[in-house]
Amino acid sequence: MRRRKESYGDRAASRVVARTTAKRASRPGVLWGYVFGATIAATVYTYPKTFPTLASREALVAFSNNAAWAALFGPLYRLDTAAGYTAYKSGMFVTILGAIWGLLIATRLTRGEEDGGRWELYLAGRTTRGGAAAQAAMGLAAGFVALWLPTALIAAAGGALSTTDVSVRALVFFATAAVSAAAMFMAIGLVVAQLAPNRHDANMAGAAILAGSYLVRMMADSDPSLAWLRWLSPIGWVEESRPLTGSHWVAFLPIVALTLVLVAVSIAVARARDLGTSAFAERDAPRSRTLLLGGQAGLTLRLARPAIVAWVAALAATGFVFGLVAQAAGSALKGSPTLDRIIHRLGGTAAGAVSYLGFVFVVAAGLVAIAVAGQVAATRNEEASGHLDNLLVRPVARWRWLSVRLGVGLGLCLVAGLFAGFAAWLGAATQHSGIGIDQLLKAGLNVVPPAIFVLGVGGLAFGLWPRGAIGVAYGLVVWSFLVETVAAAVNSNHWLLDTSPMTHMAPVPASNPNWTAVVWLVGLGVLAALTGIAAFGRRDIVGA
Amino acid sequence: MASATAILTENLSKTFGTTKALVALNLEVPEGEVIGYLGPNGAGKTTTIRLLLGLIQASAGRAEIFGVDCQENPVEAHRRLAYVPGEATLWPSLTGAETLHLLGRIQGSVDTAYRDALLERFDFDPTKKVRTYSKGNRQKLILIAALMTRADVLLLDEPTAGLDPLMERAFRDCVQESRGRGQTVFLSSHILSEVEALCDRIAILRAGHLVEVGTLEQMRHLSALQVEAEFDGTIPDLTHVPGVTGVTVDGSSVRCHVTGSVEPLLTVLARAGVHHLVSREPSLEELFLAHYGADGSDGSEGPPDAPA
Repeated sequence: MRRRKESYGDRAASRVVARTTAKRASRPGVLWGYVFGATIAATVYTYPKTFPTLASREALVAFSNNAAWAALFGPLYRLDTAAGYTAYKSGMFVTILGAIWGLLIATRLTRGEEDGGRWELYLAGRTTRGGAAAQAAMGLAAGFVALWLPTALIAAAGGALSTTDVSVRALVFFATAAVSAAAMFMAIGLVVAQLAPNRHDANMAGAAILAGSYLVRMMADSDPSLAWLRWLSPIGWVEESRPLTGSHWVAFLPIVALTLVLVAVSIAVARARDLGTSAFAERDAPRSRTLLLGGQAGLTLRLARPAIVAWVAALAATGFVFGLVAQAAGSALKGSPTLDRIIHRLGGTAAGAVSYLGFVFVVAAGLVAIAVAGQVAATRNEEASGHLDNLLVRPVARWRWLSVRLGVGLGLCLVAGLFAGFAAWLGAATQHSGIGIDQLLKAGLNVVPPAIFVLGVGGLAFGLWPRGAIGVAYGLVVWSFLVETVAAAVNSNHWLLDTSPMTHMAPVPASNPNWTAVVWLVGLGVLAALTGIAAFGRRDIVGA
Repeated sequence: MASATAILTENLSKTFGTTKALVALNLEVPEGEVIGYLGPNGAGKTTTIRLLLGLIQASAGRAEIFGVDCQENPVEAHRRLAYVPGEATLWPSLTGAETLHLLGRIQGSVDTAYRDALLERFDFDPTKKVRTYSKGNRQKLILIAALMTRADVLLLDEPTAGLDPLMERAFRDCVQESRGRGQTVFLSSHILSEVEALCDRIAILRAGHLVEVGTLEQMRHLSALQVEAEFDGTIPDLTHVPGVTGVTVDGSSVRCHVTGSVEPLLTVLARAGVHHLVSREPSLEELFLAHYGADGSDGSEGPPDAPA
């Protein structure tokens, strides 16, 4: 019999949000699962080949009481075993990337859909606000399973195939613990998506929570007397589960509890608020704040202000923590052949706290480069969103606008670098480390040239290939990060290492700035930026 | 007063990949004229305006605003024009007042008394953030931002999208005033009644080609007259009368279009004993539909023949 009208069951119609969310979360979830699983499996599998002898493993253990590595990657247990090494090598990587992915996917599929007006379509159907939020949570749960399954399976397969004695059970526990950060930050994403006025602000709030969690565990891991702090941080809970080296199930209690409570909170808030509004209602500004709005330069500053404040604060906080732990880390590091090797490779000579700071300011340079890539992204987004049209249809020259935009990026990396240096001095001064402020300000400024290079290349891409500019800028940073990671692990002078701008950085204050490299990085960056500005003047304005 | 040329395009063309968005547009708009720019979706109207604004680069040809090349020297050209897009994408974090302040400063000159009058006329509350405005209110904001500059040329790209009929009326009043002050208005629109009411001349675009330009009167002369006749006796066969097309018979009455001279038709009608006759010039809507209705809305190459 033929039906005249297509009709779907009530259940199917009322589950549309859950199904759409699940579909859109699962695809990237599976992909990341492959990446995570492969990372873990590769580490377990290669351990016996990388560290074949007892001596090589003992050298690795020298890390175990190393505050610097612990501050960055978490406490190190039993590095002389494949299990301990795998936990150290891939644990923090999977945990942090998983958390970032969980946060972004949750805000994108809830607040992003709402900002785009698509939730209105759903809610015009048979779904209530609270119901839609609950369904979104269910859909994300499916996305989480899609992430967890390949991570656990591939990790277990890697363990089973390797010659190590790491059990499949322990690897599944590890995979579960590492990706649990994704679940927690999905739940955090759901809540901030309900509270913030739009997706961008939700991401910012979520990122602040993630950064806070990371910093708290960083402090906890850098000093044994502060270890209790770990229980205050969601990332700390993942560490407390001691995957592969202890398998402490009890740490899953706060992880599961936090996730469930936050999901419930997000549903309750969604039920209580109107669509398109936020719990923190935006104030109608009773008075116009036109101080910066006298021209396009002021406008650019005003638009970039939240990002500038956030990054400068983040770098100051990071610098402070680095300074705080420098003394302890430096003494622990004395005689560590690997760190000495890294510092030497980078051209440093000093030892102790200064050596440690020289190493961590390379990390700060990475953060500043990310901040600058963010400015390239903001530049492209001004164009893609159509906001730039409002300026360019008025008497504003394209070259002037782009120069100002890139100039703001330059200002950001200068200020962020200086603040990081100053805060590091402040932190170090509380520990009476005796490192001079001039040394650390120099270290702060030393992170600027690689950032200028990233900014210049991003500006060039923006001028020639606007739709690819964001990918190029972030891609360059990720590439540098990968190259640095490889360089830290292997003693290589391969030309590929030279393609990372960070490679050319001297580890100030552990050495003097590498002036040749500074001139090259700044020169190439400025040249690329000028070429980008010229190209931008001759191309079409292209939307999203 | 000998009027200058406000907008001039010579063979202005734009190709996106393999798509010819605009093909050799030649158009001259004298100062003080209100010109309507019509065409279906995708005909190239917005492409034309973005070329005039220098936002995209011409594949061939050139364009001028008061003698200043739009592509070579956009900043100078922009000093004398104001633009209203069909969809306002403004910075969501600024308030209405902040937006007006900023855009006024960037333009360089604002008639503040007129701005305040416009705020009143469009019943617009500038204290809220752009994020919270409805689509119509955002459109009002961008209209006010353009009109308050009293620019010599107004480039309006479907400017009344999202406005209610009251505000649409206010908009028409503003355009009439601008014309009265000697401003030139380039109005791209889908609202034919708006174009019919406001424009001195009309240009019709189709698939990137300019197919018609002239006053409404001229266009009417060129196109078919609608004739409806009633007969007492038998209805004559009109299909072979020169210039007559689209004959439809309904009982004792017949309807048809006639192009060119009406004399052959009148002769046949008079012989057949017509007792009631109505003839009517086409409305702009009928002219427009005649251009696009019959054989699809886009894709065909050259200019179409006379309406079917």
